[in-house]
Amino acid sequence: MCPVISPVMRPVIRKAGRSLLWLLLAVPAALMLAGLMRGTTPAMDLLHPSGELSVRLMLLALLPGPLAEFFGANRFLRGWLAIRRNLGVAAFAYAMLHLAFYVVDMGALAPMVDEFALPPIWTGWLALALMVPPAAVSFDAAMRALGRRWKALQRLVYAAFALGLVHWLLLDWHWQPAAVHLAPLVIAWALRRHSRGRGRNLARSTT
Amino acid sequence: MPIARLSLLALAPALALLAAPAAHADGNVRCNAGPQDKWKPLKQVHKQAFLEGWTVQKAQVEGDCYEVYARTESGQAIEAFFHPVTLQKLIVYRRGREIFRAPGFKPEG
Repeated sequence: MCPVISPVMRPVIRKAGRSLLWLLLAVPAALMLAGLMRGTTPAMDLLHPSGELSVRLMLLALLPGPLAEFFGANRFLRGWLAIRRNLGVAAFAYAMLHLAFYVVDMGALAPMVDEFALPPIWTGWLALALMVPPAAVSFDAAMRALGRRWKALQRLVYAAFALGLVHWLLLDWHWQPAAVHLAPLVIAWALRRHSRGRGRNLARSTT
Repeated sequence: MPIARLSLLALAPALALLAAPAAHADGNVRCNAGPQDKWKPLKQVHKQAFLEGWTVQKAQVEGDCYEVYARTESGQAIEAFFHPVTLQKLIVYRRGREIFRAPGFKPEG
């Protein structure tokens, strides 16, 4: 099935694939912004879709790691892992867009400051703040420079994800969306834990 | 891993909030308004909001209620439910938290 591709072409294809991925990731943002600019969609109606998409992209960035540990890195998961950083950066971009819509909707600083201390609001701010360091070091040079610490820094996304769900829950009071988004991750973690336990037992039995 | 531990620490207060007194899902408010042909026009709810001193962002039918997204005079973002027949202000939320309820009103219906 896999055609023979000359090694010279491989980076070109990878680059084209990445561009296509980013084009795809930008489509919802373009639609949201077009609705806002044309005046057909008020900023308040864009808060939910942009925030939800950010959470979903975060989930997509968090899933392949534990899944690859359980299933082994097959071709599908390798491909998914390869775009994981892009998905994470896109999640941050949509969180920033979410903030932009919030600012447009509120229209002034004073009411934003006024409601900052409300739990449904500060959890959103904190979730966004926690996404800044992982997003800021999401390029190759930073990855190399930070070494092991890079991965530790990326773990902040877990906290951002959980806080994002809490933020959503406190605003909506609907348990289902939070549960639906949390469940895949919990399952993936459980699988990883299972495979790690298996690895440890194996190591113990061979020593 | 200090950052992992830090992440957990950041989560603790947020998770504690979940144990806080639960609010009511504002998507499930019931107004017991009866048949729609007896309802007052939606336009009148704008007037009610105006009388409260609010600036309306959006007014719509939500279930059997009139729902208004508005800003108070002090700029607070609120979401209010009005009875479509009596136009009485039944319940008001601010960012998911109930800040007003008409005496005797049960949002569960």
